[in-house]
Amino acid sequence: MPSPSVTPVPDRRASSASPLMLCAAAWFVPGAGHLLQGRTEKAVVFFVVLVGLFTIGLGFGGRLFPFRAAEPLVFLAAAAEWVLGLPRLVAALGGFGAGDVVRVTYEYGNTFLIAAGLLNALVVLDVYDLAIGRRS
Amino acid sequence: MAVHLSVMALFAAAVAAIFGVLVHDAPRDQVRLAVRIFGGLVVGAYLVGWIMIGLYG
Repeated sequence: MPSPSVTPVPDRRASSASPLMLCAAAWFVPGAGHLLQGRTEKAVVFFVVLVGLFTIGLGFGGRLFPFRAAEPLVFLAAAAEWVLGLPRLVAALGGFGAGDVVRVTYEYGNTFLIAAGLLNALVVLDVYDLAIGRRS
Repeated sequence: MAVHLSVMALFAAAVAAIFGVLVHDAPRDQVRLAVRIFGGLVVGAYLVGWIMIGLYG
């Protein structure tokens, strides 16, 4: 019996943009990668849920962590938050995310902010898989 | 207690929605998976909470 081989499936909705460009778009604006691939419904869900999660995290008093190599967990938290490109940038420029440590929801806020970034990482990976035909 | 549970349910709903939409294309399958993930997260967190109370409470 021949071994099964993975054959990329051409997607009718595939965008003409390169996979890396699609991933960059998906990183910068949640859902943009799927939007460029013609998957509008998915794009809307990703944008609304991820930006909503991020906004709620800020509202809970969560902190936008800086890249601090001396504190590995803080560094990783910062990296996770930056996976949500534009919302993270806008929040930083707008002066949000100072982190209200004494609020009861502070840790919840951090969790929401970090999880929003990590979930967007999965979305970016999905965009890449769709772009190269690994998923249809 | 109610606030903690509400926040956890909100988080679970967001995670479930993302995974449901990410994994499946058909809306029916997406909703089904999202409901299962949401239920698993909420029930799992509730059980783990009670276990932690038993161990450390």
